[in-house]
Order: sequence, then C-alpha cells, then structure tokens
Amino acid sequence: MYSRRRRYEELGESMREHLAERVDELVEQGVPREEAEYRARREFGNVTHIEEQARAVWQWPRVESLWADVKYALRQMRRSKGFAAAAVGTLALGIGAAAAMFTVVDHVLLQPLPYKDPGRLVTMDEHGPDSRFQSSTPWVDFVQWRAASRSFEDMAFGSGMMGRSYIQGNSASLQVGGQEVSENLFALLGVKPAMGPGFVAEQPAMGAAKNHGSIVLSHSVWESAFAGDKNIVGRVVRVNDEPYTVVGVMPAGFAYPLGGAPFGQVWTTIELGKKDQGRDWESSYYDAIGRLRPGVTVAAAQAEMTTIQKQVAAQYKDSEIRESRSLVGVKRYDDSLIDKDVKKALLALLAAAGVLWLIASVNVTNLLLARATARQREIAMRGALGASRARLVQQMLVEGLLLSAGAAALGIGLALLAVKVTGSVAPVRLNVNFSTQVDWRILAALCGLTLLTAVLASAWPALMAAKAPIEPALKQGGQQTGAGRRHNRLRSGLVAVEVAMSLTLLVACGLLLRTIYTLRHVPLGYRTDHIIVANLAIPSYRFTDKSVEADLYQPLLQRTQQLHGVDAAGLISEVPLGQTFNIMLSLRMNGNTITAGLKTVSPDIQKIFGMKMLAGRFFTSGDTPTSQGVAVVNPAFAREYAPNKHDWNSLLGMKVWNLRKDMPARIVGVLEDERQTAVAKPSQPEVEVCLCQITPASGIYQPSTIAMDLAVRTRRPAAEMIPELRDLLKQASPELANSKFSTMDQIVEDSFGSQRLAAHLLEVFGGSALLLCVAGLYGLLAYVVSQRTRELGLRIALGAQRGNLLWLVLRQAGAMLLTGVAVGLGLAWVSGRLVRGFLYGVQAHDAWTLAGAALVLFASGMLAAYLPARRAAGVNPMEALRSE
Amino acid sequence: MGKESRDLFPGALEMMILQTLDRRPMHGYALAQRIKAVSDELLQIEEGSLYPALQRMLKAGWLESERGLSPKGREVRIFRVTAAGAKRLESERQSFERMFAGIARVMETA
Repeated sequence: MYSRRRRYEELGESMREHLAERVDELVEQGVPREEAEYRARREFGNVTHIEEQARAVWQWPRVESLWADVKYALRQMRRSKGFAAAAVGTLALGIGAAAAMFTVVDHVLLQPLPYKDPGRLVTMDEHGPDSRFQSSTPWVDFVQWRAASRSFEDMAFGSGMMGRSYIQGNSASLQVGGQEVSENLFALLGVKPAMGPGFVAEQPAMGAAKNHGSIVLSHSVWESAFAGDKNIVGRVVRVNDEPYTVVGVMPAGFAYPLGGAPFGQVWTTIELGKKDQGRDWESSYYDAIGRLRPGVTVAAAQAEMTTIQKQVAAQYKDSEIRESRSLVGVKRYDDSLIDKDVKKALLALLAAAGVLWLIASVNVTNLLLARATARQREIAMRGALGASRARLVQQMLVEGLLLSAGAAALGIGLALLAVKVTGSVAPVRLNVNFSTQVDWRILAALCGLTLLTAVLASAWPALMAAKAPIEPALKQGGQQTGAGRRHNRLRSGLVAVEVAMSLTLLVACGLLLRTIYTLRHVPLGYRTDHIIVANLAIPSYRFTDKSVEADLYQPLLQRTQQLHGVDAAGLISEVPLGQTFNIMLSLRMNGNTITAGLKTVSPDIQKIFGMKMLAGRFFTSGDTPTSQGVAVVNPAFAREYAPNKHDWNSLLGMKVWNLRKDMPARIVGVLEDERQTAVAKPSQPEVEVCLCQITPASGIYQPSTIAMDLAVRTRRPAAEMIPELRDLLKQASPELANSKFSTMDQIVEDSFGSQRLAAHLLEVFGGSALLLCVAGLYGLLAYVVSQRTRELGLRIALGAQRGNLLWLVLRQAGAMLLTGVAVGLGLAWVSGRLVRGFLYGVQAHDAWTLAGAALVLFASGMLAAYLPARRAAGVNPMEALRSE
Repeated sequence: MGKESRDLFPGALEMMILQTLDRRPMHGYALAQRIKAVSDELLQIEEGSLYPALQRMLKAGWLESERGLSPKGREVRIFRVTAAGAKRLESERQSFERMFAGIARVMETA
C-alpha cells in the first residue's frame, strides 16, 4: 500500500525526469541549455497545473478542503486565544442555558407515557356545570357507561388504598402507594408484567373474585423491599398486615396512576360488594380510565358521554347531587398529568433561555464581523489567488462550526451543572423532574442548536467577507472605506438588537422579584415564626380496632407538650400552605349544598398559630366525645353561608354536619381568615372540627386519621428540637420516624416556590444578558475608537476639545442604547403576556419595572462606553497622525 | 500546438498508453516520445497530459510502477501493465473497433 506522500514523490520524480531528459536531448542537438530548458517546459505544458491535476487523482477534494479549513481555523484560534475564548465562552453561555431548560422541559412535558398507544387513553370524571368539583364514579354509573357507550374499546377503574400503606419487606417495612384496580387495567394499558402472569383476565363485575388476595408489585418495590428476589412470584407478602400472594412484577419505569407521591406502587384488585350497589355517601368511588376505539376522537367520545350521562344523573335521587354529576369530562390522560401552570411556566422559561441564546449568538456575530474586517486583506489575497466565493464562505462557516462545537461541549457541562443545582434547590412540591438523564431528544436538540448557532453567528460575516471586493482591500492603507462605514452601522444595529432583547429579560426578572417581595409581605392571618411542623404518615392499619385519637394522638400530644422548651403542641389535618392533604366536603345545610374544606384540629392549634376569633369561641378541653358536637368556620364560609351577612354571630348554633349519626356539629365560632392553599389565592370556605370528638364511629374518622401534621411552638432552635421530636414519634409508632420535618417559615417560602425558582432563573438569564450586552457594546466602541485613531488625532490637531471627542463616542453609545431600549420596551410589552400567570401584586405592564430595567441597562451601557470614550479623548495627535 | 488538432474522445489516451506499455514497459519520457513517433505526429498530445492519465491508471490498478533504468542509463520510474490492465486494454480495443466500424459505415452510406 503506497502512502499518498510516496505517490506524490514518485509523480514529482517522473515529471522531473521527463523534463531533464528532454533538456538533455535538446542540448545534445545543440540548443543552448537555457533555451533548452525553456522549450522543454513549454512543450510539457503548465507544469504546476499538471502536477496538481495528477495529484488530484489521489485526493478526495471535498473532504480535503474541509479538513484544511478545520486545521486553518484551529491555527487561527490558537493565534488569537483571547478572541476564541470570548467567542466560545459567550456561545457556551447561550447554548448551556438553552440546553438546560430544554432538558427540564423534555423531562416534564415530552416524556411518553409508559403505556401502549398512550394517546388513546382518557380519563372520565363526573362533574357539575361549574366544574369546580371533579368527582369519582361509583360502580353503578360505571356499569351504565360501559353498557351504553360505543366509543371505548375498554374501561377500567381504580382508587388508592385508604390511608398509608406499608409493605413488609425482607428487613423493614416500606411505605408504598397502594392501588386497588380492576382486573383489566393492565390489559387496557397494554403493559404485561415483566415477571409472573399478573391478574387473571376478568371483566369487572359484581362477584368476580378470581384475583382475590393477589398483588402485583412495581419494579422499585420489588427491588427495595425484596432485593430483587427472582422467586418472588408465588410468595406471600404482607401489606398493612394482610397477606397477599404475589402474581406479578411490573417492568421498570411503569406506574399507574402517574404523577402521584414518590412511593413505589403495588396493585391489588377491587372486589365489588355491598358498598358498590348504590350511590350514596357510603358507596365506594373510583377513578375511571378508558381506551378509545381507533379512530374515535376525544371530542366524539365527550359528546357521547354527555348524552349518556343525562340518564345516569337521573338515577340520583338528590337534586343537588344530580346537578353536581350532570356532566362527564373526557380528557386525555397525558393532558391531565401536567399542571397547566407548570407547563406555561416551563415554556416561558424556555423562551427566556432562547432569548439569552439569541443574544449570545448576536454577540458572537458581532465579534466575527469585527474579525472579518481585520482579516480583509488576507481574505482578499485568497480570493486573488483563486479561491472561489463558496470556498471562502465554507472556510468561515467551518470556523463558526468549530467555535460552536467547542461552546457546545462547554455548554453541556454548564447545563448539567445548572440542572443539578436547580433540582436540589427547587421545592419538591413542584413535581418537576430535574434528573440529568440525557435521551436522544436532548442530544438531537443539542446538535441542532450547535449547528444553528454556527450558521447564525458566522453566516452573515462569511457572506459579507466573500462579497467584499478584492482590489480595494489589497491596496495599502485602505482601512476606512465606504464598506467599512456600512459595516459599523450593521454592528451598531446588532448591539441595539442585543440591548432590546436584554431589556425583556431584565423586565421579566424585575417583575418576578417584585412578585416575590409582595408575596413575602402578604398578611397571612396567622403566625409562622418558631413553629416546627412534622408531616405524619400514620400507619392506620395498626389502629383498625382501636381509636387513633385515643391511642396515638392524645398520648403523643401529651408527651410532646412535656418536652423541654415546648410552649404548645397541636395536631391539624394540614397546616396552612402545607399542600400535602386536604378533604373537600359537600354538606347539606339549611337546604343548601355547601362545598367546604374540612380540617380536624386539636384545641391548642389556635394558640400555636395565633389566629383571632372573629365570633364565638374555639375548641377547648371541654369538648369531648360525649359533649355537644362543635365546629368552627372561617370568614369565607361565613360570607357565603351566614344567614345575616353583616353579623356572623348569626351563624353560631347552626348545625353544619353530622359527626356521628346522632351527633350533629354546631358552629361555635368564626376563625380569622387565613391563606390556606397559596399565599396568592384568597381563602376558601372551611369547616374545622375538634379532634377530640372524632371517634371510629364518626363518618369522617377515616380521612381524619390517615394524615396529620404535628405543629409545635417552641423557642428552642429547630436543629435541636427535631431529633427529640423524631425520637418521640418513633416511640409512638416506628413508622412515624420517617415523618418529614419542616418549619412554618420554610413552608411559607416553599408555597411560592415556583415563583422563586423562576425568579432565580431569570436573575441568571437577565444578569448574563446584561453582561453580554455591555461587553458587546464595549467591544464595538473600543474597535471603532481604534479604527478612527487617525481621524480623532486630526480633529484634536485642528482644534477640537477633549470633551468633544468624549461626547462623540458617548453619543454613539447613547444612540445604540436608546434605540435598543425603545425597541426593547415594545418587546417587553408584548411578552408581558407570557409571565402574567406568575405575577402577583404587580401588572405585567408595570411602568416602574419597565422604567427601572431600562435605566439599569442604559446606565450600565454608558458606563461601559466611558472607557473607550476616555481613550478617544486621550488620543495623542502626534502619534495618531504618524502611524500609517 | 496545432490548431487543427481535436480533442481525443475520453478513454483514447488511456487506451493508447495501455497499448504502448503492453508492448514494452517504459518510463514517462520514452512513452511520450513513442506515442508521438508512432502516431507519425498526427496526434498532438501535450506531453504533460500523460501524467495525470498515468496516475489515474495507477489508481485504477491497470498499471504499476517501479524503479528501473532507462535505455540511456538514467534512473527512472518505469510503468508496466498489470493483468487487470491487459483485460481493460482488450475490452477498450474491442469497443473502439466497434465504434470505429459503426462510424465508418455511416460515413460510407450517408
């Protein structure tokens, strides 16, 4: 195998020999040597050209030229390290930000569901005309649906197990998300168990019990509780102390329902029984899911179900309930998983990252344009030597691509770091997946982004350079030609564009910061200082024949109150803003149907949170299981349901709810307004009942006892108290040791976590944009000043003052900034719509914020312009005129 | 060079080179002289144009080259035809003869 070099050598040899021989022949014939050589060469032809042609036989011209361009570009970059560093760094910032946001968006919004053909899966919920309340479905309604509907291939249903579920693993008990489902669920979802046969196929029906006592585990539960035991199928395991036989393990990554708490899941079958024969309060309710027949659209199914529901609703005897179940909502399952607000937020942040990327690209375009001007002569030379326009453009594009690729490599590192940091800082409650896993979509997006960046940044300079006429550039001293003037205007325009885009980011940042400030200062109606909160996961199966209230809660409270440093301790279903748990009730009162939240509290809660009573009294130790049933309501409730809207005392004594069959609860007090679910949302009607009055016989015993928050007011620091509290909880029941602890202040901060996260991100984006902008402005002005040194020297020599020159430069800067700010204000106005959903207490078009951001940008720009201006003013006319 | 010369059809040069080298392997200069001599100066080929053609044929594997001595005793690079080259020569000759015969017939009858 000959190497190419050898080929070239041999070729050269042959040609030289040929010429030498010819010369010798001619000399022999008497021709003088000089003339012989001349003639020989002429007869041969264009030696160089022919050698090139012959060499070309051994080349791949396309690849060769690209490779040559790459080597050339690398050489250039090594020679001007500063320029390369600036360009790569800038692009890395843009690409990194865009890649990071896209990773998050991909994880949250673009992940396909782990089911077969998930686009055809829909959920069905009954609701009323005002659709405030989405109800689950009783079995009898489900039967009617199945019988009458034609749109569905199959329907299944399920519900979470009551209370917290614990599975007894090999070594410890593990909390799991227990799900009771119909037998056909897995078949409907199109996923078979990875191990074992799964449930026996059976259409859900009364009396069907082939799968009695069977359980299917999820992959994560199988791994963590049973260490991936290969013989798990057929084993008997205990869940909530009940024996089940394992019939299957689902594949890794499978979950149903999705979007729930981060526990591994287990599935058992629903056995329909007495509770499913009717439609009253005691019946069981389920979440329904269906698979549409191929070709049936969601709208068509929705229309059909609406018709069917008319007959179903007619079966309800109570007119209020009939109204609240008169419609059926058919929604795609994947749509229902993403919180609309989160989706909008993420897309808005992605847009912001995109803007930052644009700014970075424009900045680098400017840098490349500047360099192209400096390299005018070299490019002209290449053109004169025969490089085609396409070749010149190719070379510059290759350079751009190389810069972009380097930036992408750096940017990925930045992006992964950013995603990881954001993930550790973001509140868990946001339910956004911040893992750093990379899948093909992200890689494809990254490659596309790199290419786009390269093209965007280098196309314009390349085209400009290639179109530049060759002759003027080759002449000596032809620096400031007309083309140069146009060039500068172009670059100034680009800087103005950067300024405009930066302004939008800064405005968004400012709006969010103001929102956070406002949220922090909203009067909540209760104290939040020095309160430690523990979110208790109650293992209710331990207390099925006992009273949780008597056996767990009261002793726990007593012991907590005896701890050193504890002022007061109380239990409440959910602390305000807790976002962990809530119960909604539909009550009948005075012939009206009332929708209100329900909370179970212990009497000390009022002391802990410092809530004021607006009428009547709160719970006291005098309220017992045997005394008069009592309830307390909040002003939102009073405003809606008080007989006399101006005097809430009129509420007192009204019966609101039956704690037990024979024990009505009467309103004894009105508690001051509180922000319950979010600082930004007004409060909803709420009813509170005393924990002490809840016994197993009570209808709300179950919901009241599966989740509780322990609130402790203490002056001791949290770091000290929490371990002591945890020990106490462990003594009460071992599962409680895993309860999550927090402080009330932290919970309040977390409640506007999404705004805080967005604010932080926008701070980073806005700050980076400002920096890039200012750097771009500075770069351009510095360049202009250095180009115009002669002219400036001339002006001074002719009598101009230093101040005039200063003003000259500042004026140019000012023009760019003002144009950019003006356009930017327009952009910010238009883009205000995107962030509107985030804001609280401030308009998207808030004048102060717009003005403030504009001012910051303008001032920073002028500051950056000062240095070149001073340099211009300090030009020494003698030196300036002497150079060149 | 003669204004009356016309461009050779593609492959003509290769064919002639193969034919010449098949007779006797020789180096570039001798090849050029030989073609000029044998064609009786009817074909005016730029000497230099041999070399790209030689490289093409080397790449295609129809020729191989080695060091040797010219008749005059100089150290030169000698080209010789390979087996593949011989096959190529034969097929080219046949197709050329067909083409030639066809053209001749047309010219006779038209």
